Amino acid sequence: MKKIKIGDLIFKSFLWIYAMISLYPLIWMVFYSFKNNEEIFVSNPFGFPTVLRVENYIKAWTQYNVPKYFINSLIVAVATVILTVSCALLFSYATSRMKWKGSEIARIYMALGMFIPVQAVLIPVAKIVKELHLMGHYSSLILPYTALNLSFATLVFYGFFKGIPVELEEAACIDGANIYQAFFRIIVPVVKPAIATLVIFTFLTAWNEFLLANVLIIDAKLRTLPLGVLFFQGQFTTDWGAMGATMVIASIPTVLVYTLFSEQVEKALTVGGAVKG
Amino acid sequence: MKYAKKLMSLTMGVALGMGVLAGCAAKPAETSKPADEPKAVAETPAEAPEKTNEPVTLKIYAQYSDDDTKIPYDYAVQELAKAYPNVKLELDIQAQDDGQKLQTYAATGNLPDIFQVGLSQIETFKKSGNIMVLNDAAQKSGFIDKVHEGSKVNLYNEDGNIYAFPYAGNELVVWYYNKELFEKYNVEVPKTYDELLEAVKVFKENDVIPMSVFAKEGWITTALYDAIAVRYDAGGIDKLDKGQGKASDEAYTSAAKKLNELVKAGLLPDGVTNLNYDQAAALFYEGKAAMFLNGQWEIEASTQKLGDKADWMYYPAADEASYEASKTVWAGGGAPGGYAVNPNSPNKELAAEVAAFISEKYCEAKYKLRSNPMLALKVDASITPEKPFSPMMERLAKEIPNITSTTKFAWGLSNQPLKKSIEEQTQFLCTPQYTAEEFIQEIDKVIDRTNK
Amino acid sequence: MKKFFSDKVAITVFTLPALLIFTVMIFIPILQVFWNSFFEWDGLSEGLFIGIDNYIRLFDDKAFYIANKNGFIFAAIITVLQIVLATFFAIAVANSKIKGRRFFRIAYFIPVVLSVTVVCQLWLSIYNADTGLLNKFFEAIGSDYRQNWLSDRNKAIMAIAVVNAWQWMGYVFALILAGIKSIPNSYYEAAQIDGASDFKAHTKITIPLLAETYKFCLILSVTGGIKAFTEMFIMTGGGPGNSTYTLTYLMYTSAFKSGEFGYGLAAATVLVLECLIAIIVINKLFKQDAQMN
Repeated sequence: MKKIKIGDLIFKSFLWIYAMISLYPLIWMVFYSFKNNEEIFVSNPFGFPTVLRVENYIKAWTQYNVPKYFINSLIVAVATVILTVSCALLFSYATSRMKWKGSEIARIYMALGMFIPVQAVLIPVAKIVKELHLMGHYSSLILPYTALNLSFATLVFYGFFKGIPVELEEAACIDGANIYQAFFRIIVPVVKPAIATLVIFTFLTAWNEFLLANVLIIDAKLRTLPLGVLFFQGQFTTDWGAMGATMVIASIPTVLVYTLFSEQVEKALTVGGAVKG
Repeated sequence: MKYAKKLMSLTMGVALGMGVLAGCAAKPAETSKPADEPKAVAETPAEAPEKTNEPVTLKIYAQYSDDDTKIPYDYAVQELAKAYPNVKLELDIQAQDDGQKLQTYAATGNLPDIFQVGLSQIETFKKSGNIMVLNDAAQKSGFIDKVHEGSKVNLYNEDGNIYAFPYAGNELVVWYYNKELFEKYNVEVPKTYDELLEAVKVFKENDVIPMSVFAKEGWITTALYDAIAVRYDAGGIDKLDKGQGKASDEAYTSAAKKLNELVKAGLLPDGVTNLNYDQAAALFYEGKAAMFLNGQWEIEASTQKLGDKADWMYYPAADEASYEASKTVWAGGGAPGGYAVNPNSPNKELAAEVAAFISEKYCEAKYKLRSNPMLALKVDASITPEKPFSPMMERLAKEIPNITSTTKFAWGLSNQPLKKSIEEQTQFLCTPQYTAEEFIQEIDKVIDRTNK
Repeated sequence: MKKFFSDKVAITVFTLPALLIFTVMIFIPILQVFWNSFFEWDGLSEGLFIGIDNYIRLFDDKAFYIANKNGFIFAAIITVLQIVLATFFAIAVANSKIKGRRFFRIAYFIPVVLSVTVVCQLWLSIYNADTGLLNKFFEAIGSDYRQNWLSDRNKAIMAIAVVNAWQWMGYVFALILAGIKSIPNSYYEAAQIDGASDFKAHTKITIPLLAETYKFCLILSVTGGIKAFTEMFIMTGGGPGNSTYTLTYLMYTSAFKSGEFGYGLAAATVLVLECLIAIIVINKLFKQDAQMN
């Protein structure tokens, strides 16, 4: 009996310690954003800032149009999420549940996107965006982002669709529903947990994306938040404190989206489980 | 089955269509000049570049991230508003991305009207017709006449053309030290490597880091190697770049072995290859490190932090005789670079004028507001620095007329694969695990391949 | 029913949008990568067709072997760490007896939410040879196991892999948790009636039922390891020397630092092929496994 208790204690403290380690970067980042280079690197890399250097935030806020960058990021991320999730849902349904030759090939074809380093396709993608006359529009980012996220999203949905019993559609079929009705009314609600998870994942990648944004945005009006660091990162020196402030500003929405949506995920998961159980 | 085929042929059709649209980059471009001839577009001075008062917005791609880049830029913009009230600049900030952004801009025809370039970009851009030859513009604007005699290397490319208006002068690699620490531990400023090794020993015994280097960046480890190499062969890394020497030559082998020996003796701090500039400089400023390596532009910051405790020394050499003999030989040096112009800009004539103007104002700002005299252009005598030059700078300025040879900074090397390789390999040499033999082998492999 | 699932119009409608966007934005660029890997090319001017010379050079390049070895080490470390930890935490959080589950669920995912830059900067401070927490920790417990974590040609890659594993563990955790939640409770109740312990119930029910999820996580970790880049870019710059190179890194420096695009793209092509082989092998393994069960 005593043995079990000790095991239990170790188990629980491990859960707690790991949770603290996971949360620490959040606090660390906020500390960081109030320090100067000397404190960050030499005297006080981990602790509470000795002086609250609010000027880091003032610098970040005055160097570039934070609200404008913010709105751009939001538009791009939200559009990417909607486009990615809907395209991936449809595609995965067709490849996982419908019977047709080539569905396996189509699936692997789609997975290719996970293997290619973005740096390798930077220039070809930029050329295509240019040829399609998308330069200077939000779609110059939205379409490449969607394409890049599709591989991952289709694979996740595929796994979920595979786990759904065929009886669901059979019942719908007997009730006289066509495939579209079955898909939208029956299947989509069942995979809500997967949808919520992917909304979070896709939003995060689109929100934090730097590489493509750096080369594809030629119009200052379209710049997104991750590009804010350009104002502080020099060839020789970097204003790390102001960069920290920039990163805090950029991270707040993602933390919010996550905490809000993860509630939804949780609810959706419980409901989803109930339907199946 | 039929369906799948249709689908495949459809996607392939789209693929092919797009392929044609996007154009595989390797296909010949519309012009079919001989491959050797540089395709940089020459100016067409015919069209009257008369100043009109029509408002023009020029896109400019420039560094803008710290005092050394923001102050000159802001100053130049202010001056521009007075001289060219109709011209507005739209700034696109340079990313620290190894040129990905500029290269993509060039590949998609989105180059800004004016952009900052280094030598490696000049070389690629001139081959693909993405950079304007500025010979006439430099002549017309009187830019050429303002360039220091010693800074011609910053102006002219090896092919004799001007591709960018420089502002940085013939900069040098400077070996800084903390006088106070040397006095405190009774260490003589080392003239020979044996003395340097002895100094390393004394400092280590007293928990002082002998030398701080921001070895996370390959160009400074290259500079460290070069500072040693020039004591064996005045050509330094410049000679390797020109294909006139190999790492297996005695001088370069000795330099590699010497650096490795110093590193093994503890010249550099723990984890040096992960120190960035801000970390390495802090060690020096706080008296934790006795020596520091950087360009001469460091003088201002070091003076600010350490006052008259900071000074510079001649690089040590193998023996006292060669130490004395090679005092006039320096690592570092100038290379073409600065503000370039997009030959496809609708306002290229104006852009060239503005680019020359901005470079000139950069020099003024750096001289006046940053007390930096190492510039490409002569600054008007009416302009004086706001702060007087520091003693270190005064001393260095006296050396400059005596300098007999300089080499290159890593960014001034024209052989790009060698540049990349020497940056990596010298960084590797800064860790005690690496050997001079591995270094020589890797460098020579690149030299052999690129000089074929 | 058969007609229902093989409705060709529906298949077209469902697959076309994704295929179109993907083909135009990703597949055509991949074809160009492949095609240009046969050229000596600086990325802008006309290339010179040189056949398979880039590939021959690749196999004679020390950095190529370092990159492959690192890809393997990286993939192995993140696969093991992520899958083991994520399974452990997911099972713990799914257990309704554990207090603070909601808090844990959010906490474990937080590193994923942060940008890679923030995470890498934090770990740079932790690994710092002089002021870093890790060395301070070893000092405090009186051990002389101080290391130059990121300046060591053999250990640096492992140190970086840990950072990646730590940050993305939350991703795998979320996926496995979602999987567990979709397992009907009745399965566990049945096991309980049979007198199986919690541990046994999980090894017999949870893990086999989540085969598809695990397969996906494995693919994610393995390919993520082979093509790792950002962490090296921020933390070591590929260094010391080239000892933390991966294939993506080799591609990047060849293209953008040496101006040898063709060569870099040859490395990228090999990278894509390696990932393809990995995914096929993983698929085969899981199929065999399924048959054996």
